[in-house]
Amino acid sequence: MPRLRLEGVCKRYGATVALGRGDLSLMPGEVHVLMGSNGSGKSTLSKIIAGSVRPDEGVIECDGSIVTIPSPRAARDLGIAVFYQELSLAAHRSVVENICLPGLGHARGLFRNRAEMTAAAEPFIEPFESVLGEGFGLDVPVGRLRADQRQLVEIMKTLAARPDILIFDEPTSALDRAQVECFMAVLRKLKADGKSIIFISHRMDEIFEIGDRVTIIRDGETVRTSVLADTTMEEILRTMTGEEATGPAAPAVSAAVKTPQRPTVKLKVSNLVAPGVNNVSFEVAAGEILGFGGLHGQGQSAALRALFGAAQSRSGDIEVGTTRLTGNSPRASIRNGLAYVSGDRARDGVIEGRSILENTVPIYALKNHLFVASPRSLGAKAQQALEQLQTKYQTLFHPINSLSGGNQQKVVVSRWLMAPPEVMLLDDPTKGIDIASKAELFRVLRELAAAGMAILLYSSEDAELLENSDRVLVFNNGRTVRELVGDERTRYHLYHAAYEAA
Amino acid sequence: MSLPSHAMPHQRSVFERFPFIPALGILAVLLLLNGIAEPNSMSFGAITGLTKTYLALMFLAVAQSLVVFSSDIDLSVGAILSLVNVVVVVLIERLGGGADAVLLSCLVGVLVGTLAGVFNGFVVVGLRLQPIVATFATGIVFTGLALWVLPVAGMPVPQSFWRTYGGRICDIPFVFYVVAALGLLIWLTVRTKYIIQLMAVGDNRLAAYQSGLPVTRIRIKAFALCGMLSAVAALCIIGDTASGDPVVGNAMTLYSVAAVVLGGTALSGGSGSMLGSAIGALIIGLINSFVFFAGVSSEWQNFAQGVAVLVALMAGVLITRRISK
Repeated sequence: MPRLRLEGVCKRYGATVALGRGDLSLMPGEVHVLMGSNGSGKSTLSKIIAGSVRPDEGVIECDGSIVTIPSPRAARDLGIAVFYQELSLAAHRSVVENICLPGLGHARGLFRNRAEMTAAAEPFIEPFESVLGEGFGLDVPVGRLRADQRQLVEIMKTLAARPDILIFDEPTSALDRAQVECFMAVLRKLKADGKSIIFISHRMDEIFEIGDRVTIIRDGETVRTSVLADTTMEEILRTMTGEEATGPAAPAVSAAVKTPQRPTVKLKVSNLVAPGVNNVSFEVAAGEILGFGGLHGQGQSAALRALFGAAQSRSGDIEVGTTRLTGNSPRASIRNGLAYVSGDRARDGVIEGRSILENTVPIYALKNHLFVASPRSLGAKAQQALEQLQTKYQTLFHPINSLSGGNQQKVVVSRWLMAPPEVMLLDDPTKGIDIASKAELFRVLRELAAAGMAILLYSSEDAELLENSDRVLVFNNGRTVRELVGDERTRYHLYHAAYEAA
Repeated sequence: MSLPSHAMPHQRSVFERFPFIPALGILAVLLLLNGIAEPNSMSFGAITGLTKTYLALMFLAVAQSLVVFSSDIDLSVGAILSLVNVVVVVLIERLGGGADAVLLSCLVGVLVGTLAGVFNGFVVVGLRLQPIVATFATGIVFTGLALWVLPVAGMPVPQSFWRTYGGRICDIPFVFYVVAALGLLIWLTVRTKYIIQLMAVGDNRLAAYQSGLPVTRIRIKAFALCGMLSAVAALCIIGDTASGDPVVGNAMTLYSVAAVVLGGTALSGGSGSMLGSAIGALIIGLINSFVFFAGVSSEWQNFAQGVAVLVALMAGVLITRRISK
């Protein structure tokens, strides 16, 4: 009898289907790998089991009886523990306190007993004893630990709940080889003890090392479950992407085949290091659209934000045209010809509650050192830029919030077109935009590239990224692992590179 | 089972374990300044008087810090204090003013304060309103109730009440027993499992929820405890002023927040010290007395107090930075 069984589990957010049909059966003593491309629904599926997302439909069975999991607390009572990718630690609490935190409410007594807590935590720290590294201590606040040490604490915390079902969502992304070995040994022991483990990772070698079966999710539906020993990486990737290894490339974009005689390099980045970005180097030529691909959150956005000077710290060499970029601030980047458009319009783009005109002119005003300006002369220039993108609006003086998401984003883009930049950094620019506006936006980007602008594009939608990029750099764990050019620009190759061990 | 020796020496730094150390330093400096400005201010009697006056603020600051730990804030503590104050005073009067009446009224007062805190918790946590605005509003409601209970200040309490509060037991002033009780309360509270959970909630609410903590209950409990301690503060005020006043505590609310910050607790939640908050309340008391003893003319006293609080806050930040380095 399966320990946990999901049948026809489904979750919608408004019109968006996060998970169309989730089927899963988890046996005792198995490591069950969950695989799927970006946005395919694997994290939604694991959140449903964790109790932090409630499914709209479907049946969940635990040990043969139908259950509902309305909260993480309920999941805990069912013997389910989750390793959260973004970690669930309290930075000011000590290692021991964090490990014992979930069990604290269940133990009897009003007062904490430090010796008892330490004794309870130690068995879970012990397997990692040899790989804890400098600065680790039972009483050290978690916030003072390194990223890999924090990840280990999250693992220990998951184990300390003594669960029967464990979900590990990317548990090894910050760990080094020795630490991963220790973790694998722990997993093997859990397996031998008959525990059930759901494992999500982007390291293919780990998946084959530890996994028993794999369930593949594509476009929100679990399409297949197979025994890992009977399958290959190629086969998994084919099922995951629905593409053949040697299948046709993404529909060739006219501009993609152009080969300028002597491409002038517009942006040269060497050894870029920033939070989440690990030694990235590349060049972009005039007229080129360079895509940043890979699984979500592997450093694509972080690299773009770092280039724009929006990251806390940054090192490495950045040349825009022939000038070296100095100063780590958006202001310096703008003056040197960089532009940044983010998909998070509310945070990075739109100036809430102000007019369309005011939302269109700030970059132009900054670059031209405007102090006093007449709305009429500015308006004419703004109008030109807005029309270039075929933005639909009533008058320039309507508030920006009166526009649809797609048109708001067009206003943000046209802000940069009033004083055209050398290089445009697009950080998932079409998030939450309707299809027609997307097409329009990319048509204009193509034109801009053709006119000699260099464009860096990150998109959370693989199809959009592959269709619109001349080249794709695949990110894994903050590094670039592969460059896809020409016919290689397929979902298959993208995920092949994304899952390869870094 | 023991861990490798290299892992053990890495403990919390002294400052992480005792975040109130900068406050203690500021307190010492202020005591010194007071002593210089007016040597008599360091006499036993003067210290007792100071404690008598600021004991209520100490309780209020400790109450506030519990809510701040979970990254909330309670701007109604002053109003709760006022409400409990008038409820207790009126009840004592109605019940005839005997010793039994006094005790019963005090118990009812503490209950009223706790209920007010539960109500705050319900509004903030249950209805998911912003704590800063929601408790501002509930504070006005509590003040309204206080004015209905006792429309104008007055109505003295029986002699036995303020005689006890201002008196001595075994030659030691009563207020020092209360201070000791407060100290014991803090000592016990920081040793509960609840405080670890509360801090975890304040540190990262989502993470705490995902860890399976009953976040809603933990936060409401903090508001309830805050209301309860505000009620105890009200009893101290009655002992000090010996009468009812429906708005006596309202000006104290932001003082309690200032005391919490002076004591080394971050308003962002997740870390801090209740003892620090009590010390913070004493710092405010000493600043006020210093301004008085330094001979600042009455029209400039507010100005000087404000500047002194600012200086104390800055000193706290500077010391913290220096120690953390």
